[in-house]
Amino acid sequence: MNENIYIPKLAKIIKIKEEVSGSRSIKTFRTQFVEKNGFSHQCGQSAMLSVLGKGESMISISSSPLEKDFLQFSILKMGRVTSALHETEVGEIIGIRGPYGNNFPIENWKGKNLIFIGGGIGLAPIWSVLQTALKKKDDYGKLTLIYGARTSKDLVFKEELEKLNKKMKVHLSVDVEEKDWKEYVGFVPQNVTDKKPSPDNSISITCGPPIMIKFVIKALEELGFKDEQIYTTVENKMKCGIGKCGRCNIGKHYVCKDGPVYSWAKLKTLPQEY
Amino acid sequence: MEKILTKKSFPAWVKKLQSYTVYAPEKQENLWSYEVIQNPDKLNLEHLNTVQAPKKITFPQREVFLQFNTSKEGKPQIKEVLPKEQPTVIFGVRPCDAKAITLTDKVFGEEPKDPYYWSRRNQTTLVGLTCNTPPSDNCFCLSVGGSPHAKEGLDILMTDMDDKYHLDSLSKKGEKLIKAAENLFKPVSPKEKKELEKIHRESEKKIKREVKDIKNIPDKLKNMFNSPFWDEEAMSCIRCGICTYLCPTCYCFDITDELTSTLPLNGKRVRTWDTCQFPDFTMHSSGHNPRPDKASRLRQRILHKFQYHVENYQDYLCTGCGRCISLCPMGIDIIEILNKVRDHE
Amino acid sequence: MVNLEEIKKEAKKILEEGKVKYIIGYAKSSNILMAAPVFIKKPEDVNKLIWNPTCFQNLVKFLLDEKRKKAREKEPDTRPVGIFVKGCDSRAINVLLQEKFITREDVYIMGISCEDLGVLDEKKIFKKLKDEKPEKIEFDQGKNIVISTKEKTIKIPLKEILAERCLECTSSFPVISDVFWGDRNNRSPKEPFKSLEQIESLSQEKKWDFWQQQLSKCIRCYACRSVCPMCYCDECVVDSINLAVTADTSAEEKAQKIKWIEKSPESSENFGYHLVRAMHLAGRCIDCSECERVCPVDIPLRLLNKKLEKVAKELFDYKAGLDPEQPSLVSSFKDEDPEDFIR
Repeated sequence: MNENIYIPKLAKIIKIKEEVSGSRSIKTFRTQFVEKNGFSHQCGQSAMLSVLGKGESMISISSSPLEKDFLQFSILKMGRVTSALHETEVGEIIGIRGPYGNNFPIENWKGKNLIFIGGGIGLAPIWSVLQTALKKKDDYGKLTLIYGARTSKDLVFKEELEKLNKKMKVHLSVDVEEKDWKEYVGFVPQNVTDKKPSPDNSISITCGPPIMIKFVIKALEELGFKDEQIYTTVENKMKCGIGKCGRCNIGKHYVCKDGPVYSWAKLKTLPQEY
Repeated sequence: MEKILTKKSFPAWVKKLQSYTVYAPEKQENLWSYEVIQNPDKLNLEHLNTVQAPKKITFPQREVFLQFNTSKEGKPQIKEVLPKEQPTVIFGVRPCDAKAITLTDKVFGEEPKDPYYWSRRNQTTLVGLTCNTPPSDNCFCLSVGGSPHAKEGLDILMTDMDDKYHLDSLSKKGEKLIKAAENLFKPVSPKEKKELEKIHRESEKKIKREVKDIKNIPDKLKNMFNSPFWDEEAMSCIRCGICTYLCPTCYCFDITDELTSTLPLNGKRVRTWDTCQFPDFTMHSSGHNPRPDKASRLRQRILHKFQYHVENYQDYLCTGCGRCISLCPMGIDIIEILNKVRDHE
Repeated sequence: MVNLEEIKKEAKKILEEGKVKYIIGYAKSSNILMAAPVFIKKPEDVNKLIWNPTCFQNLVKFLLDEKRKKAREKEPDTRPVGIFVKGCDSRAINVLLQEKFITREDVYIMGISCEDLGVLDEKKIFKKLKDEKPEKIEFDQGKNIVISTKEKTIKIPLKEILAERCLECTSSFPVISDVFWGDRNNRSPKEPFKSLEQIESLSQEKKWDFWQQQLSKCIRCYACRSVCPMCYCDECVVDSINLAVTADTSAEEKAQKIKWIEKSPESSENFGYHLVRAMHLAGRCIDCSECERVCPVDIPLRLLNKKLEKVAKELFDYKAGLDPEQPSLVSSFKDEDPEDFIR
């Protein structure tokens, strides 16, 4: 019999960074497999993280596949397992199995402009593509990031975003006015309409809360983006990660296996139940 | 390989199968249930539909995946727990329930394979029994491609012929069972063969319920996702798990950690049955629920069985056993729903 | 005797007048021995209504759905829902009123007296039929059921196949209603707790063995909870998540939700589930015994609830659902209550 797909591999937390504090706290974890039995992943894939005794949670891998030394996860504290992850310290051991799901077809995007659009923790799933594109900058055209959160405190990867400014166009936003905020005020879809990214030879990659994704797609369509030029990721409650436990389906698709990455051209053909 | 076994010799055959755990339907109080048979002399195959399908043996409601604890040095440890390899034979399997196992075989057999399912399944021999008369008022196997004497999924099909059984051995596993007591079996005479064919023909005529033109239903359903039809049909649903837990084909599950102690950490990760009919099945931790009401959950049950599964595996995820109809406390009837879908504008 | 035509006439009238949003009643199902709930919106559909001893279901359960649906709607239709109730069902409405889960204006109660009968027990019929399948049934002047099978036609006096709860029922007519059919004769069964006799006669060890054996059968389909009109909690001890969770619920609150009972159908967990449920129904259960009827593996759940009903009667002279104004059993005490510690 092949490797038991349900058995997690042990991994050590080597770095924890608090991105956002407070009640909607977000932390970024770097992990290394304890033994040489780890896996490599592709942009957009996820992994099932275990805190033994608490359970498992599916989290997207935010580090680039080109990064071989560690896996990185940015996690919003939400329920039982993510709260337990937030209580861990550097050096502690967690379980990881995966990688799961399909990936962004970045090989097909060579030579194209990439527009990343994220809201809140939704930057994490597209961060791996963004990092990969930056590392192979010559392969792609112009890179743009449009990213927003409820308040400036809720923005993730703040330090990285500052450095990013030198390498690509970054448009930030917060939902409501606040003191000393010099960039855009308003929701992410409005910022998209405001910044008018050109659809010519472009691909847009968007992730965030379902309602944001819905309106970003609308904004992009108004700007002339075709369904095939719009990519997003979907999330649903998951347990097995391999399309068997039956709960994450959208129509005949299991998000854990056939997703989470969808072009709008594909996603719009499925029942709108996510 | 076809054989004849007298009913008198049936217990003697079962007694020869000492190396197996033998299950057969047993009447407990008022209900038929698959139980481990201790005394083959008491065995009879006169059962109606068992409340629970043999799914409870091949895909038990609870399966331990792994054990975890912390080592002396304080490091977490994980130990894989696979089911004990125990050859098992199940007698009296209805053809619909056997077909159902072939459907879960496909799901758990798709890469990556499910090791727990297969360590049980590979050890299991299924001995079926023709439904000379339908074991339930709501049998509709003929509508979903089955029949009261269908062989799919079975290792042996037995047919009751008054004082004897006809046996049709359909696989190596089946042959092994017969070889365990070869001298008890006799060859089939041409007369017996004719008699058998008659019983099989007659058995089909006794199925009363049907879904006509079922072939059109998957396509029909594709255009009904947003129909108010589902709200209407689900009005009387009370969101219990009877229809799915007793369904021989439903396989959805949950994975949870069960602790025996926290300090030191000690516990198990287990798989348990779960159902699309419970609200927490799809509810996100945030409270968002893609299927927030019973209408969307009933729709999921029907669409999974008659659209999504057909699209993914080219087969209905339903074998027409009728349990979900007979046992629904509110009289929700999948045959009526499907007939309405078929006639839907 | 209750006249179905009069019932239909009234149903039609209130629908035509727009007095109610819709009516929850009973109609035929594909199982001839069991009616099914029906939700009637159009006056012309009242002909679907039936009334006979196969009307098992306690339709009050559907008022919980209605309440939740109303809470989700922006501009809900505030008219009441018409609902048919038997004596026991009407007591469930009273408990919901007593607990302020619904208000009197939410319902238009259409009460039907069971008179000297009640509903059937399917299992008793099957015993009489010895596995033969009924093909047609008829009720003969409200006294007998005439069942035709392929082989024969048999006539069984209804009293021989009534549900246990009906044989022990002391108030077989609705105690609250807006419109009423049938008589209001109290019944005084000689032994209102007869079904408890056998289990009460067992030793403690034997009782334990009995429940061990019964509850080990549980497959945790939660049909007993799902069918119970008193089980309306958003947060149930057996669920993995509190169903009232919203985007604003804090992660801490969710993470701290204690898993009282595991999902595994192990005997310890099944005991936990059924005993917690029984205790939560103490002084609330109105003995519709739907939990026992719907159980697919035949766990005699009514015994648990009936025992608590008996205790409440003996210790506190309390019976659930007789009056929406009465203080609830477990949240009130009287000076004459038998336990001293509560004062």
